[in-house]
Amino acid sequence: MSAILVYVEHDGGCVTDLSLQCLSCGRQLADQAGAELHAILLGAEAAGVPLADVIHAAKGEGLEPYTTRPHAKKLEDLVSQLQPLAVLLPSSTIGNDLAPRVAGELGLCVTLHCDAVKPEAEALHCRRLEYDARAHTWFAPMANGCTVATLADGIAESASGDTTGRVESLDAGLDADLLRVLVERREVVQKTVNLKDAKVIIGGGAGVGTKENFSLLQKLAERLGGEIGATRASVDAGWVSAERQIGQTGVVVRPDLYIACGISGAVQHAVGIRDARMIVAINSDPAAPIFKMAHYRIVGDLTVVIPKLLDLLG
Amino acid sequence: MSIHSIVIVREAWDTRDLATDVVGSDGGLVPGVLSHRFEPEDLNSLEQALQLKEEHGGRVTVLSVGQPAEVDVLRECLYRGVDAVHRLLPPEGVQLDSAATAELLAAGIRKIGEYDVVLLGVSLPEEENSLLGAELAARLGSDQVSYVDSLSEVNEQGFLCKREVEMGSEFLRVPRGSVLVLGVYLLKDDPRTPRSAKAMLKLKMKKQPIEEWAAADLGLADLATKVTTRVVTHEAVPPRQVDSITVDPENEAELKNMLQDILGR
Ligand SMILES: Cc1cc2nc3c(=O)[nH]c(=O)nc-3n(C[C@H](O)[C@H](O)[C@H](O)COP(=O)(O)OP(=O)(O)OC[C@H]3O[C@@H](n4cnc5c(N)ncnc54)[C@H](O)[C@@H]3O)c2cc1C
Ligand SMILES: Nc1ncnc2c1ncn2[C@@H]1O[C@H](COP(=O)(O)O)[C@@H](O)[C@H]1O
Repeated sequence: MSAILVYVEHDGGCVTDLSLQCLSCGRQLADQAGAELHAILLGAEAAGVPLADVIHAAKGEGLEPYTTRPHAKKLEDLVSQLQPLAVLLPSSTIGNDLAPRVAGELGLCVTLHCDAVKPEAEALHCRRLEYDARAHTWFAPMANGCTVATLADGIAESASGDTTGRVESLDAGLDADLLRVLVERREVVQKTVNLKDAKVIIGGGAGVGTKENFSLLQKLAERLGGEIGATRASVDAGWVSAERQIGQTGVVVRPDLYIACGISGAVQHAVGIRDARMIVAINSDPAAPIFKMAHYRIVGDLTVVIPKLLDLLG
Repeated sequence: MSIHSIVIVREAWDTRDLATDVVGSDGGLVPGVLSHRFEPEDLNSLEQALQLKEEHGGRVTVLSVGQPAEVDVLRECLYRGVDAVHRLLPPEGVQLDSAATAELLAAGIRKIGEYDVVLLGVSLPEEENSLLGAELAARLGSDQVSYVDSLSEVNEQGFLCKREVEMGSEFLRVPRGSVLVLGVYLLKDDPRTPRSAKAMLKLKMKKQPIEEWAAADLGLADLATKVTTRVVTHEAVPPRQVDSITVDPENEAELKNMLQDILGR
């Protein structure tokens, strides 16, 4: 029976939200094609993998934490064995590192960061946003056959529930030459705040200037019932914890209201907020790119403007 | 100890602030709308290579695929003091995807022979992906690390790479011979900021012939068969129209109206 294969990424054993979206998307494609949904999970127990008919799991040396070649090897072997119609991965640091490696090893077509997929007779077609978000480009394999794709946040609803499919153990063995890259240490913050579901977010950037000034944003957040978000710059400055970073290497948020304070609007941040219902930008530079996506623009010093807003809010 | 770095550089479309439509009614790209620039992340990796050489000795060799359109990125590298540049040319009329580009680059790298590291940047126009680097590493059979922010602890065995991941950083020990895809987050006055072209070198290198290696001479006359991906069509996406309201922070009434609006919804 034909198959759709999903690479399931996990964070310390907990399946990531984007992987759950990939499982939903994979389930739809499998049902349309009358295929089975297979999942592969490396370096963790096969728990919390809903919707898949078969879960291929392996634990062992070199599989946790992630490095490219051990995971690529296991995924390549499974792809060669299953000959799936498509291989879907989350568009994350890991997914976008792994997908082109596996495609390169096997000579398959690959498309990264897809926001839509469409099953056609000969193969899966994949769409991504390009050219400063002015064009959608559809990609397909040259020859009939398997497509490898990483899927962007929002591709489907997150699947929920526990593993119900059949679990099959994969051989965890790896040749020594695949184990030459070593993760010496990680400085990664465990998430404790949920920015994804926040209705109101007050974002602070380098323009906030000091840790003390962040308390202004905190007050505004409390008054509006919102959460604090941040740019990479203010996280790197040590004013805010990394779990609040919004953007490409942070979280993608969809609040009703986003107030950007002292944020220039670099594309890596903008991709994380472009689905906000309303954006208010406070920036002292009238030419800041953030103003182009803002519904309300306030050109001014945030240390003056925010206290005024707090006054008016009472 | 010395380090031979191979740097891959690209001339990429500059997609910042596009004012006009890029997709025509036929689903193709409108010619001439996009200008080109030196892929900024490749400039960062060139700088990394030059600094490795300055610190540890060695060489910097640069490869690029195709004839220049607007910016001759290889010549720009000569202006910044690299040791050698080679232009790789696909067979006439072949539209390369990243798989075929990687095949050609890998053949060029094999011709160069010994090296300690291959450096290139994430591709900015394509949402910072590391597609080409991973495709290349697969063809070289080497280790790869993507989203590398900086290198340290350079020794006979290899490097310590700091890479950016969701919610933080990771430090990886990588062997010599790896492909590193850089995604550098430049701070103000960052020592990793790419240098500009040197006036002296510009004079000296302006007419310097650039060696060209044709795919056929690298054993890839059949490069067209290595293409894996095709573009089916492009669809225009209308620019985001935001009805913007400018609020004067000195004007209390305007601020109040805004608050009413945003809290009312
Ligand atoms: C691989 C990679 C991944 C990245 N991922 C992310 C990511 O996930 N998220 C992210 O945010 N960034 C990310 N970045 C960094 C990104 O490129 C930008 O550098 C960052 O978003 C800039 O943050 P900023 O807007 O706070 O700072 P800046 O760009 O320095 O902007 C500060 C702004 O504050 C304004 N300002 C200054 N003083 C005041 C004042 N008193 N009142 C009002 N305004 C003031 C200035 O006019 C300026 O516009 C990434 C970069 C790379 C290379
Ligand atoms: N700005 C860009 N946005 C998206 N894709 C690009 C961009 N620049 C180059 N590419 C990719 O590179 C391929 C060749 O580019 P070119 O040689 O400039 O025509 C295209 O088919 C695209 O897939």
